[in-house]
Amino acid sequence: MKGILIKDLYIARSNIVVTVVSLIVLGFGLSFLLETSALLVLAPVASTTAVFISITSDAGSKWNKNVIAMPVSRNQIIGEKYTFYIILALAGLAAALIPCGILAQLGADITAQSLCLYGAIGMSATLLAGGISLPCAYLFDPEKSQIVFMMSFMASTGIIAGIVLFMNLLIPVKEYILPTFGIVLAVAVICFVISYIVAAKVYQKRDII
Amino acid sequence: MTNALAIQGLTKTYEDFTLDHVSFTVPSGSIVGLIGENGAGKSTTINAALGLIRKEDGRVAILGNEELSSDTKEQIGVVFDGSNYPEILSPGKINRVMKHIYHSWDEQTYFQLLKQFSLPVDKQIKQFSKGMKMKLAICAALSHHSRLLILDEATSGLDPVIRDDILDMLLDFVQDEEHSILVSSHITSDLEKIADYIVFIHEGKVVFSKPKDELTEAYGIIKCGAAQFDELDKSDVIVYRKMDYEWQVLISDREKMQRKYPKAMIVPATIDEIMLLYVKGEGACKTLRNGGKG
Repeated sequence: MKGILIKDLYIARSNIVVTVVSLIVLGFGLSFLLETSALLVLAPVASTTAVFISITSDAGSKWNKNVIAMPVSRNQIIGEKYTFYIILALAGLAAALIPCGILAQLGADITAQSLCLYGAIGMSATLLAGGISLPCAYLFDPEKSQIVFMMSFMASTGIIAGIVLFMNLLIPVKEYILPTFGIVLAVAVICFVISYIVAAKVYQKRDII
Repeated sequence: MTNALAIQGLTKTYEDFTLDHVSFTVPSGSIVGLIGENGAGKSTTINAALGLIRKEDGRVAILGNEELSSDTKEQIGVVFDGSNYPEILSPGKINRVMKHIYHSWDEQTYFQLLKQFSLPVDKQIKQFSKGMKMKLAICAALSHHSRLLILDEATSGLDPVIRDDILDMLLDFVQDEEHSILVSSHITSDLEKIADYIVFIHEGKVVFSKPKDELTEAYGIIKCGAAQFDELDKSDVIVYRKMDYEWQVLISDREKMQRKYPKAMIVPATIDEIMLLYVKGEGACKTLRNGGKG
């Protein structure tokens, strides 16, 4: 799996650098308008776009066909893309923490609670979106999967809103905002794992031509 | 003699095409050429053998193993039409990727081959010509101590000079008796230069699987007129084709036929001609039914 992960990092390297630098610059820029820690919502989502660049590149070069003939299992191929997605989401989160940390040192009002809250929202949205779009990248052609990729972020926002509204029926969400989004994050993680299992099963049976 | 690849009864059905119980072998130490027109089933056969597509029936044994495990894949070098490597990568980066994929990746061999074929290490693949891409793919396929090399239309679209370089590379590889090659191509002249055996696939079925020397040395074409064609014993005819001014009749034993029909003009048949006659010609039974009038 390490070899194909390195391949994806090479493909997405320029995109990752641009995204990380943009997030840092955006973090400082946003600090004049709103809470800097809100950047943590955007960061993981923005940084995972590189995964779809690598998927498009794989399809364009017919790498998928080549790699099947190598000593790499189909599960490893799928597992690598999911791992790459999480690595990029966490890298985005880490990049967004840089301006937050610097601004906190300069006296900005950034609390651990707000970081956890926005971080949980960002990661939840990213994992739910990935859980929807990653299997579709292997089911549909590149054009359709690009559309699914864009739609998946809207869908993930809707799912989060749905979960929060449902939880509001059980507990007063405004009073327990952090635990609520902790549960949302747990649901997103479970959905992401289920998505991996489904994608791996589908890919096992798929003809690669 | 052991087989590097043994395919038996391989079947795969699509809406408009069926790979129909394809069987042939690639003996160790030999080069087998898989020929057939576009869409005949060459790539489907290779894809099914390599597990890219799911076969419906049949058995495939690669290097004696029916299960295509990672250990088996370590010993197979595969080259498809096109380089099939992300174009943003350079040969140097491919080395870093491949050494984490193949346990047996041999960096030294890889760089030696790159040097041998004058391929730049740090240039992105997107700046390579088609020939350079193919050479790179072959360099990679030969850099992990492969015992079986499978090439699917690897020389198509390349100029004769580069094709000749690649053929030399393949001949070098097969000098080791443990090494074998299955090469699919519709450029039959290439296979005539290097192949030991020829497997001809037509409409998803194996038409013949024969030693190349038998085809080039024994097979022949009788070029005759309608009257002479009618006089032929139809059991001698494999296939025939009516051209504008003559009949072309494929026969399997040139010398025997020359003795039997001393007045007939019999010329050696190239693999290209054999393939063309099989694809475009008609069978002997049809001749008999039509009373030899085609």
